[in-house]
Amino acid sequence: MKRFVLRRLGYAVLTLILLSLTIFLFVRVTGDPTVLLVEPGASRADIEALRQDLGLDRSLVVQYVGFVKDVIRGDFGRSFYYRTPVLELYLSRLPNSLLLAAAAMAFSLLIGIPSGIIAAVRVNGWWDSAGKIFALLGLSMPSFWVGLLLILFFSVYLGWLPSSGSGTVWHVLMPAFALGWYFAAAHMRLTRSSMLEVLGSEYVKLARLKGLPEALVISKHAFKNALIPVMTLAGINLVLMVNVAIVVETVFAWPGIGRLIYEGISFRDFPVVQATVLMNGSMVVIVSLMVDILYAVVDPRIRYER
Amino acid sequence: MRLARTTALLAALALLAPAGSTSAAPAGQITWGVHISLAPTYFDPAETPGLITPFMVLYALHDAVAKPMPGQAFAPSLAESWTQSKDGLVWEFVLRKNVRFHNGEPVTAEDVKFSFERYRGTAAKLLHDKVAAVDAADPLRVRFKLKKPWPDFLTFYATPATGAAWVVPKKYVEKVGDEGFKKAPVGAGPYKFVAFKPGVELVLEAYEGYWRKAPEVKTLVLRVIPDEATRLAALKRGEVDIAYSITGPLAEELKRTAGLTLKPTYMPFTSWLVPVDQWDPKSPWHDKRVRQAANLAIDRDAINQASYLGLSRVTANIVPHQMEYFWQAPAPRFDAAQARKLLAEAGYPNGFDAGELSGDMIYGTAIGEPAANYLNAAGIRVRLRLMERAAYYAEYGEKKLRGVLYTGSAAFGNAATRLETYVVGGGRYVYGSSPDIDGLFAEQVNETNPRVRQQVLHRIQQMVHERAMAIPVMETAFLNGVGGRVDNHGLNVITGFAYSAPYEDLTIRKK
Repeated sequence: MKRFVLRRLGYAVLTLILLSLTIFLFVRVTGDPTVLLVEPGASRADIEALRQDLGLDRSLVVQYVGFVKDVIRGDFGRSFYYRTPVLELYLSRLPNSLLLAAAAMAFSLLIGIPSGIIAAVRVNGWWDSAGKIFALLGLSMPSFWVGLLLILFFSVYLGWLPSSGSGTVWHVLMPAFALGWYFAAAHMRLTRSSMLEVLGSEYVKLARLKGLPEALVISKHAFKNALIPVMTLAGINLVLMVNVAIVVETVFAWPGIGRLIYEGISFRDFPVVQATVLMNGSMVVIVSLMVDILYAVVDPRIRYER
Repeated sequence: MRLARTTALLAALALLAPAGSTSAAPAGQITWGVHISLAPTYFDPAETPGLITPFMVLYALHDAVAKPMPGQAFAPSLAESWTQSKDGLVWEFVLRKNVRFHNGEPVTAEDVKFSFERYRGTAAKLLHDKVAAVDAADPLRVRFKLKKPWPDFLTFYATPATGAAWVVPKKYVEKVGDEGFKKAPVGAGPYKFVAFKPGVELVLEAYEGYWRKAPEVKTLVLRVIPDEATRLAALKRGEVDIAYSITGPLAEELKRTAGLTLKPTYMPFTSWLVPVDQWDPKSPWHDKRVRQAANLAIDRDAINQASYLGLSRVTANIVPHQMEYFWQAPAPRFDAAQARKLLAEAGYPNGFDAGELSGDMIYGTAIGEPAANYLNAAGIRVRLRLMERAAYYAEYGEKKLRGVLYTGSAAFGNAATRLETYVVGGGRYVYGSSPDIDGLFAEQVNETNPRVRQQVLHRIQQMVHERAMAIPVMETAFLNGVGGRVDNHGLNVITGFAYSAPYEDLTIRKK
């Protein structure tokens, strides 16, 4: 077991090193950030001075080694645009992203799971069709468009909700809906298919033969087992919600990590893009590592096979 | 009877009150929907980048020795007056008495000297290279000694070309350090810092001790709303009072919405095309008549109407009208028939293949694309090539592009600085130059007589125009929305400034 954990840890570290190198190089392929930090008519001397100040006059190798050394010390550098430590920026945005992700996740589970169960129980019926339409819309409508429609209807037309910003529970409703709908649709589909599979299994048939009421069969016997893949997906989706709400956060001026990435990309703020991608990557790597270890604990075959 | 006596007393007191004073304490709040993320670096004038955006904050938090104000390009601010020595080498500024920073410390000559010396923003090297020394002669007198006469000293020192004239409290900065200053900035401006959440909002509160006047509005909130449609929604709902940068169809919608006003502002931002192949003798662009034809082929008014609701200013000069030493060129004409005639005279009766018209994604689309259509209609066949902004200007500056290039500049300065960058040999975006223009430009560099300098700079602009070296299109408007609650919004009050200012003059409509 110890060897297995060490090997997985090694893979995780290697993944992060590769990620850091990839993002470091890719972000530089986008071009020179100094041009975005001054007016187009700026003098060559000013642009050169800015390049020096940002450390962009050094070779790529020197820049990368410096970046890795700093990251090991917990220093992700200073934002080119904000001129403040990136870690400070990231940590100031993280609670907002966690809040939005939690709200969106709650919404997606509250809508996705019950509608998935109903669709499975009433398969090919009216509820199933309605659920499919709901899922199709959620998966196909771009979230920025959903966001703008929500703003126009609930903020401008009805005047019920604030159009953007953060601070109150009212501010979180529309972004959570815009972000959560896509995931609600995904959860609904998985719940439906998982329930259909479980409902066809032998032990559910046995429960029915025993004469148990249908509600009990569904809720106690079928749903509990059907929930496992849904919860696994929800866990991964939660990490995604924290990290990929770029469009939703921008439309609703929600001060989360997604908007930080958007700003980082817009201004070619290399340290911000590097740090956020690396932190997000770390989150995914850590979650995967934990899942791997848990699987190995639960199923001994895994730790012996690998 | 008692009521009448009281009323009479109040009326007498009102008459005795000095003109312009405000008896009421600052009240109310104005909120802006800002299009760009505010950064702590904007709180420190020493870090002013080559962008106009930080001045949105500087005009509130800080004050300058001299700065542009309504009706004045160089308005005395913390300095009440200044003089230049006859040899042009010494500028002496006399500071106002009893002006204090928000923390109560007096503004002194030492603070002015300190602020200049710690300045490290745009053009810092240029300023520090040209200024030999700064002396705080006494607490209210500061002298700038130049190495050589420099006619553009005030242009660089006292306009948004740099942030070197904006004064910070020396003792406080030394106590808290640069980082501490950005977290809790203290200035001498009309508004005090209250709170800042990076990327979210900046909250400011009226500083009643401001020397010019106490602000009428108590709280200012600059709220970052990156999405344009959301900014407009927030303006419609009254969540913000002023929304910056609303363009295209959204600007039309804003114009149609009752209770909202579309308000353009004008930065020193000119858009033009430049046929860089004109310096190649084999290129059709080498012929002046071809370049004149291109100038006549474009319907600038139609582009203005389509892209900016007619609110930009069409122009025939690459130097914007707000700039010092601007020369008023004859109004641009749209004459497609004359354009084709000129092309025929130049030997291109069926037009010619002019290669690519390159531009950046934003203005290249709004201005470059319709301009390309007009050129094509006249027989000057161009293919539009749009690039991401930074990549475009990088290739442009490295002289890698050919054909016709869209150019836009909002850099502060005067006609000389604009020409130096885009017309005179050695300029960052200059692909070729004329020796006579370069010679004339060199003549005025150290010229301290403004009249002589104006003559030379006017002559250069005239030559650029007569030789059709560029195809100026328009001075592009920056469109904003204003809600019904605001009375004085401060937009377009200071020439060449894009945002609301001066903040102490802003007012809310009385109910």
